[in-house]
Amino acid sequence: MRMLGVLLRKELLATFGSPIGYTVAAVFLLVLGYTFSLTLFATKVANLIYILHQMYVLTILLVPALTMRAFAEERRNDTLELLLTAPVGEIWIVVAKFLAVYGLVLAMYCGAFVYVGVLETYGTPDWGPIGSGYLALICHAALIVAIGLLMSSLTENQVVAAALTLGASLMLWFADSVAYLLPAPVDSVVLNLSLIGHFRPMVTGSVFVSDIGYFVSGTLLALFLTTRRLAER
Amino acid sequence: MSKRYGSTVALASLDLEIERGEVFGLLGPNGSGKTTFIRLLSGYLLPTDGRLEICGCDAVEQSLEARRRIGYVPEAAPVYGYMRVREFLAFMARLRGLGERAVREAVDRVIAALALEPVADRPTRTLSRGFRQRTAIAQALVHDPELLILDEPANGLDPRQIIEIRALIRGLAGRHTVLMSSHVLGEVARTADRVGILLDGRLRGVRAMADTPDLEEWFLSLA
Repeated sequence: MRMLGVLLRKELLATFGSPIGYTVAAVFLLVLGYTFSLTLFATKVANLIYILHQMYVLTILLVPALTMRAFAEERRNDTLELLLTAPVGEIWIVVAKFLAVYGLVLAMYCGAFVYVGVLETYGTPDWGPIGSGYLALICHAALIVAIGLLMSSLTENQVVAAALTLGASLMLWFADSVAYLLPAPVDSVVLNLSLIGHFRPMVTGSVFVSDIGYFVSGTLLALFLTTRRLAER
Repeated sequence: MSKRYGSTVALASLDLEIERGEVFGLLGPNGSGKTTFIRLLSGYLLPTDGRLEICGCDAVEQSLEARRRIGYVPEAAPVYGYMRVREFLAFMARLRGLGERAVREAVDRVIAALALEPVADRPTRTLSRGFRQRTAIAQALVHDPELLILDEPANGLDPRQIIEIRALIRGLAGRHTVLMSSHVLGEVARTADRVGILLDGRLRGVRAMADTPDLEEWFLSLA
């Protein structure tokens, strides 16, 4: 665990010391503020569901910019050799990188919590869907960050890593659309891979263990594959 | 041991023992397998077959224990550009398992040993090639390893810096076992106690420098 602390400190220094993190956070909050204002003035309803969906989309679009450098940059700068030849298990390197980027995404979500405050001040929002919506986002972000790390571990080119992450996330997002075109029983397998299919119930207030299980198992699988990739010598 | 990438043989049946406390020079042209060998020793790569033992530890079965005994300087002398020199050395010391008090002492020791005082509080991205190389060597020495592995340590350095690094490596002999690779004959001749010549992934010969009056002639006879 001490090694995790050492590595996490280094990753936080890299994540919060880079302009990429601040730029992504600024874009995220700016777009959300813009959408929130428009939605509130247009509908006059204390509803966060559009904002939660917007955060879902922005997470898919912006997280690749945060994860692309995780391993790709280390590989390109040869610093990965320093990490992998130190007496530390690959799992801790992966977990530290995951926690650093995930921490930044959660900090961005916290910034967006101000909209909940606005709704509470001027209206009477339904706290149930807001809570489950945030839970959905927290699970969703974990999966996208883990996919981003996996893609970053496959290449030394950051742009390729970002493109692969975006591609993989979009494919998961639209899996349900593709599923209807496929024969049984493949259709139900692909349908269950759908990102939005597991996100939508939670964001509207229905929390199922199967949906949480999807995000958790997907995250763990991606982190496991990233670790295996690093252990390939 | 051997190392293959698919059907490509990077190192073929290499059999070598390096004595404790000696400076061993690995000589060979570009693409001869030097970096592969160095990476195998450092733990960055694992052998396809055969056995690799580092200071009594099996490099595959006791990988973490073997890595604890190694200090490794890759060819590119990588450093984290967003860290200051002192910060970088402290991070590497903690990564090698040193406690907080030992970290401070170790960092001060290597900064003094490698004359890094003028740049100790500068970001590593602003260092000259010479100071960067010294910082990379300092991180490899910060936990006082038994085996120091240097991949092309004189690469990109000016003549004065080469002389300084050479003196530094010679100074480490005895307390540390040093393995250095180079494609420069003179560099190995002036620094190593023994030299091995690697050509096309095969170790063609090993000799003590004291028994090799003309390294160039020996190299040409094998090449």
